[in-house]
Amino acid sequence: MIEPPSASGTSKHNDFAWLYALYELGQKVATGIDPRQVQRDILNHIVSGLDAENGSIALLVDGTDDVLEIVAGTDLPPGVLGSRLAPGVGVFGHVLATGQSLLINGGVAETHLPVRINERRDRNTDSAMCWPLRVNDRIIGTLAVNRAAGRPRYTVADLDRGQMVTSLLALVMANHRMHVEREKRISELSQLNAEMQRINALLEDAQDQIIQSEKLASIGQIAAGVAHEINNPVAFVLSNLYTLESYLTGLFKPPEQPAVTPASGSAAALPDVDFLREDGIALLHESRDGLLRVKRIVEDLKDFSRGGADDTLESADLHKVLESALNMVRNEIKYKARIETRYGALPLVECLPLRINQVFLNLLVNAGQAIEANGTITISSGVDGREVWFCFEDNGCGIRKEHLHHIFEPFFTTKPVGQGTGLGLSVSYSIVRKHGGRIDVDSELGQGTRFTVRLPVRQTAAAVESEHAVAMKAA
Amino acid sequence: MAKLLIVDDEPNVVSALRRMCLNSMMTPAIPDAQVTTCTSPLQALKHVGDHRVDLVISDYRMPGMDGATFLTRVKELQPDTARMILSAYTDMEGIVRAINDAGIFRFVSKPWSDADLRFSIVQVLQHRELLLENQQLANEVRVQRGIISRQQAELERLEAESPGITRVRWTKDGGVVLED
Repeated sequence: MIEPPSASGTSKHNDFAWLYALYELGQKVATGIDPRQVQRDILNHIVSGLDAENGSIALLVDGTDDVLEIVAGTDLPPGVLGSRLAPGVGVFGHVLATGQSLLINGGVAETHLPVRINERRDRNTDSAMCWPLRVNDRIIGTLAVNRAAGRPRYTVADLDRGQMVTSLLALVMANHRMHVEREKRISELSQLNAEMQRINALLEDAQDQIIQSEKLASIGQIAAGVAHEINNPVAFVLSNLYTLESYLTGLFKPPEQPAVTPASGSAAALPDVDFLREDGIALLHESRDGLLRVKRIVEDLKDFSRGGADDTLESADLHKVLESALNMVRNEIKYKARIETRYGALPLVECLPLRINQVFLNLLVNAGQAIEANGTITISSGVDGREVWFCFEDNGCGIRKEHLHHIFEPFFTTKPVGQGTGLGLSVSYSIVRKHGGRIDVDSELGQGTRFTVRLPVRQTAAAVESEHAVAMKAA
Repeated sequence: MAKLLIVDDEPNVVSALRRMCLNSMMTPAIPDAQVTTCTSPLQALKHVGDHRVDLVISDYRMPGMDGATFLTRVKELQPDTARMILSAYTDMEGIVRAINDAGIFRFVSKPWSDADLRFSIVQVLQHRELLLENQQLANEVRVQRGIISRQQAELERLEAESPGITRVRWTKDGGVVLED
């Protein structure tokens, strides 16, 4: 146990062990122990070290320079701890205002101002010392210790020795304060961080939803073509089946009852077996082709409208991706424009194929809508260093110069209601950007428009990671 | 003999329709159908230009020219042709033009029912025949009426020239009474 400094001239304030213990108490502030408890421990340590009966610590309330709050005390009446002191009142108020320590004996201030201090909390107190707690010339609070009547009074020498302790205490308190502040900042920052992450996740969700809605909207725009593309094969397959039924009925009709059509009455009604076999096979071939076509368009649509689960990078043949998009829009376009393709040899490209499909579909729908009749859409592709490029060129109406730098903005559209949401190019742009690529546009009013999509063959680690993060968040 | 022209940009549709029209084992049978098929409206117009066609069945959405425009041209080339549209998709504007400009007899949607379509074709052909017959009869009547009125006009002219000449009065012994 440390030996407390005596009240008289034989004070051991500078006793190293005692100071070290005080320092160690101060360190506890940083270890997350309840700061009030630490303040109490420090005060007890000081009270016993200065051989006092009791003592108290008051600190400036945050954001003020004259309001003190009692943060620790020994033998204090109930309700005093945590109470605030009016500015300039009492010993603490006086010390805070003057910035100088005070020695009071028998109710009279003996240092610097021989003023009578009337306000004593404890009638038993006869001798008291009070110091301002100073850090870098700034007062952060006050400390007082009291000695009861009948005990030796404190001297100016005690006051000076105590001064040394108070500067250490002030540092401990200031540290504590900064520590608390830092903790608060850290928790604020981590809250802010959590909030930002939440908002980020919301944004990602919102963006995914926009991409998804845009996708559904573009399905609406190609619906007429798709209906036509499905209805045509269904129509001829159905008709062929009716015909086949009659062929088979004709073939298996008992020969003694030859079918005779009353209208013509000719032999045409008799089944010509060779013809039926030949035509029956042709009929089945055509029907199978038709059903395969329906199957393909339904698959393309299903792939296209699938959402959420497509956030994994794949090495894709982008020509296949393009063909799938073309299958969906060809029927919408073929009545207005010829599609010419000039494909280069492309390596497999690391990407989200369904997203790229969406980009291609958008550009094709736009090209189709730009053309009134008898147009041409030229699609070319190639490799350029570590990039692949796709070029969609139409000879349609073109884009006005004043619109050109708005076309990638969300909800910007010049199309009539029902033909565009204003999201197609904006979503396409963000998809391509996410892949680390870019879309360039080149347009002349009345001449046509060319969109060039460039995509890196390999995704960079950062891009992969961010995509991965998105995928993780989505999961 | 019914000369049919089928126009659709989808070869398999054309082929299925041809089968259906030529299949005499199904009822109602299209009497003596003779089918020509085209997969392009321009090619079809060339055919209409120098062949008699009784009925044209056309798709609506075709590259180059839509069904309403095509059938309007057909109507100009051969007004007596019966015209039908068979389509998987069309907009209101297209239907209005098909009815008002091209004067189509029927609008059938794809996919079609074979029995219904055959029935429609037979009906349209009969309707057309009735129309043609009606026209022919009306012409005959007009011609006959024309002849009658020419006789009447001659009589009136003669009557005007010599009044009473159209009202011949016979005597009991067969003589003609001439007034003066």
